[in-house]
Amino acid sequence: MVILGSGPNRIGQGIEFDYACVQASFALRELGVKSVMVNCNPETVSTDYDTSDKLYFEPLTFNDVLPIIEREKPRGVIVQFGGQTPLKLALALKKAGAPIIGTDPNDIDRAENRKLFNEIIEKLKLKQPEGATATNVDEAVAVAERIGYPVLVRPSYVLGGRAMEIVYDQNGLEFYMKYAVKASPEHPVLVDRFLKSATEIDVDALSDGSDVYVAGIMEHIEEAGIHSGDSSCVLPPHSLPENVVKEIERQTIMLAKELNVIGLMNIQFAVQNGEIYILEVNPRASRTVPFVSKATGLSLARIATKVMLGHKLKDLVSLRGAIAPKQSPELNMGDCHAPSGLAMTKHYSVKTPVFPFNKFPGVDTILGPEMKSTGEVMGIAETFGEAFAKAQEAAGNKLPSHGSIFISIKDTDKEAIIPIAVSLIESGFNVVATRGTKMFLHEHGVPATGINKLLEGPPHIVDALKNKKIQLVINTTAGRPSIGDSYSIRRTALERGVPYFTTIEGAKAAAESVKIVKRNAGAINIKPIQKYNLDY
Amino acid sequence: MPRRSDIHKILLIGSGPIVIGQGCEFDYSGTQACKALKEEGYEVVLINSNPATIMTDPEVADRTYIEPLTFEYVSKLIELERPDALLPTLGGQTALNLAVKLAEEGVLKKYNVEMLGASLEAIKKAEDRELFKAAMKKIGLDVPKSMTVTSHEEARVAVKALGYPIIIRPAFTLGGSGGNISYSEEDFERMVESGLIASPIRQLLLEESILGWKEFELEVMRDKKDNVVIICSIENLDPMGIHTGDSITVAPQQTLTDREYQVMRDASIKVIREIGVDTGGSNIQFGVDPKNGRQVVIEMNPRVSRSSSLASKATGFPIAKIAAKLAIGYTLDELPNDITKETMAAFEPTIDYVVTKIPRFAFEKFPHTSPMLTTQMKSVGEAMAIGRTFEESLLKALRSLECGWKGLDPIAGASPGEVMKRLREPTPDRILWVGEAFRQGIGVEEVYELTKIDPWFLHKISAIVKTGDTHFQKSSCPRSFRTVDTCAAEFIAYTPYFYSTIGEEDDLLARGTQGLWLFWAPAPIASARG
Repeated sequence: MVILGSGPNRIGQGIEFDYACVQASFALRELGVKSVMVNCNPETVSTDYDTSDKLYFEPLTFNDVLPIIEREKPRGVIVQFGGQTPLKLALALKKAGAPIIGTDPNDIDRAENRKLFNEIIEKLKLKQPEGATATNVDEAVAVAERIGYPVLVRPSYVLGGRAMEIVYDQNGLEFYMKYAVKASPEHPVLVDRFLKSATEIDVDALSDGSDVYVAGIMEHIEEAGIHSGDSSCVLPPHSLPENVVKEIERQTIMLAKELNVIGLMNIQFAVQNGEIYILEVNPRASRTVPFVSKATGLSLARIATKVMLGHKLKDLVSLRGAIAPKQSPELNMGDCHAPSGLAMTKHYSVKTPVFPFNKFPGVDTILGPEMKSTGEVMGIAETFGEAFAKAQEAAGNKLPSHGSIFISIKDTDKEAIIPIAVSLIESGFNVVATRGTKMFLHEHGVPATGINKLLEGPPHIVDALKNKKIQLVINTTAGRPSIGDSYSIRRTALERGVPYFTTIEGAKAAAESVKIVKRNAGAINIKPIQKYNLDY
Repeated sequence: MPRRSDIHKILLIGSGPIVIGQGCEFDYSGTQACKALKEEGYEVVLINSNPATIMTDPEVADRTYIEPLTFEYVSKLIELERPDALLPTLGGQTALNLAVKLAEEGVLKKYNVEMLGASLEAIKKAEDRELFKAAMKKIGLDVPKSMTVTSHEEARVAVKALGYPIIIRPAFTLGGSGGNISYSEEDFERMVESGLIASPIRQLLLEESILGWKEFELEVMRDKKDNVVIICSIENLDPMGIHTGDSITVAPQQTLTDREYQVMRDASIKVIREIGVDTGGSNIQFGVDPKNGRQVVIEMNPRVSRSSSLASKATGFPIAKIAAKLAIGYTLDELPNDITKETMAAFEPTIDYVVTKIPRFAFEKFPHTSPMLTTQMKSVGEAMAIGRTFEESLLKALRSLECGWKGLDPIAGASPGEVMKRLREPTPDRILWVGEAFRQGIGVEEVYELTKIDPWFLHKISAIVKTGDTHFQKSSCPRSFRTVDTCAAEFIAYTPYFYSTIGEEDDLLARGTQGLWLFWAPAPIASARG
């Protein structure tokens, strides 16, 4: 078996994919099948000479890979673990006669090709945000007018949200089409309705063609619109209603079967007012595979490899009973009576990204649909609050236990901040806010001390941060990152190591976390993961 | 000497999340170390907060804690697990800094935990600029002139003595974080400020500029019997002033004379002995003045580093694995080389090919940042390629990067003025501009003046451009496969680790006419697609 690796690390395609390739190699060893690794990244475990039976240290281009395949004459070539790098080669290699195993490259294409994918969504009677592809400015504007602003725009076929943006009006859209992307009939731009204030869900699942195992459902902490790789997430979901989780599971099974997935798949959903939308389906290993594997104790990539070699899921994982699909007269639920397993752990695992902002002087720390994080950490504990606190601390953003909290938020977040502020005050913090926010909080019976904005002159908030008078910053901004005041606040917080949250959901999780940590009196509870995995 | 039997449980600290300056190379080294220690029958306890690593796979260590890498958490872990020893030299700067804190705060002493590999004293000597310089002077080695400062006032005094341009390096940071080059008073104060903030102990080193000098690194290993071996020499194609992690690097070194190289080798052996890294690997960096060959020692990492993983892949010598085994009592002459099975780890690798590493950047993700390369590392990944010649390995590495480059691609519409400007200002694609300069007829000498890239490399690049780089990478050319065997085919290799080259013939192992490949039967597998 030849495994194609993921090439040099970059933002959007990092160590997670090397992890998956190495697991594939380990799985082959367990099965007694000889493994051949092809990769060109010297930092990785996959390019260790004793990870696989053979190692080719070569570029991952068609012209470099084909001679290796011709020479090794493998029974199979595995392309679904190394991210976009091997996937980009899949169709051409297949045409050249390479025996690609796992999900068929044509099915991978069906998931990534917008038009073909729309047909699937329609056939399965699922929902996705309205949208269409555009190959020039006029088409894009026409689409946006039909579906309404704001819209999410991005080039097709990218990983890590390269050049993905949320655009709020026609000017913004025209600018984006003219300067940010090179749209063409071969490389169209996707224009989708942006789901405001939705919760994003990431699902990793395994399928062997007949059974589907829903291995992990992760609830994002930051709202939809922030790249999934830049969002913290929690497994199992901590706030989703059970019926929504069940429905997500059902839709995952339908999609896995429709796309004839053999191996791993990842789906991103958004939940807005109880409605479930499908954002993206990737019939391949995703960035979250190692996280789910560590959180649940099952090596997904290893199981996927065995499935790709013809083993059956029911022999590899314990599948719970069949999930009865919702009966609905107008929907033909046909063949989605698949037995499925859903890994639900008793403990909580939180994944939090880590950013390189400190390496780029002057860069704003605000998050958006383009991925910026280089790495991740995980917090694991009995409660969500503790797990979140651990993840924050591991990411170098340790939550304070006392002191002052600065709040500056956009208008649409004002209602949501009240319970957060109240909870933080109950945990013993003082709230500091600029005039507008302070007035609003007072009106709702929340005590807060005033502080000057940067433009109002000293002593202002940036001074307070520099003088260590503020221990936590909650700062959300509307639309395009507002410059000036709020930028200096975020940047100063970063440089001075003051923990900051730029989304309301992050702030909410922090408040919950602080409460629990306070209740535990700061006690440190640790346990090896081998023990967590024995517990259920 | 046999493995130590007085210790049973060993704690290993990982390097945490992937950040710029500390990437997945420490997953590679940590995983190797866990495997090596387990193989020797020790109980391995691991702490790392990064779930995306192989080393945190439940079966790699005996007990794996995915917990924050902070003093509080590691102290708690030591209290619970009571390990006999701590191996801090395989988890990058994060692990080393934690180990120093645990030692200084008395946690190791309280729970009777021995530090393996490098002592607190050795770590301090290597990492504290003043102590390091004093040590170098003591053994008669040259270092750049410099001064340590802890405030703006002291910095102003220092810059008067050393002059501009001046290098600003914060103490105890990862990947040169907060480091900078100041050319004038204008930016000096600001750079001192951000450097002081970046250093956990608010200490800076201000240093005489050796910008434009040639830069080299040697990977060195030592055992407790005081045997020292040089695993690999690495030459930076980019001159001093660009962080090694952001430089194109080549192994083995290409432009030193044998005499110069022997002086550097001797110096590095002296350095590891003087600093006192008892067992394990170290990385020692040198600068060489191209005008007169003056060699200065720049710094030393008393641990496995980013370059160690590159050196391991470049030579086939598993530095981290051997470092772990040396830490528990073995010596270099006792450990067999996996690849040859016949030679020992004390046998220095020989390579009969050229390795090129090119960093990969992500400036497009951070609009409004200057893509200029400095002493502060900014790359997020790297690709390495192996070829029979420098030309071949450079072109393969360019293809490997996945930046859409096929080789030294021409730059359409580049005006001569722009070419000059881009040669002077190092950015991620400068190598393409060097190629473009030759395409436009600019001479090697002029390109050297602007880039300070050694003329040897420039002549090679110029030759690639003149012959047309397709000559070196035609897909229609037959390829042969050769083995990375640590010994330039002097001994039989048993580990199938291959690279391709245009033309020539497969070597013996690659042809599959010896060793274990003879006995390969096709494994029975079921086709997944029926």
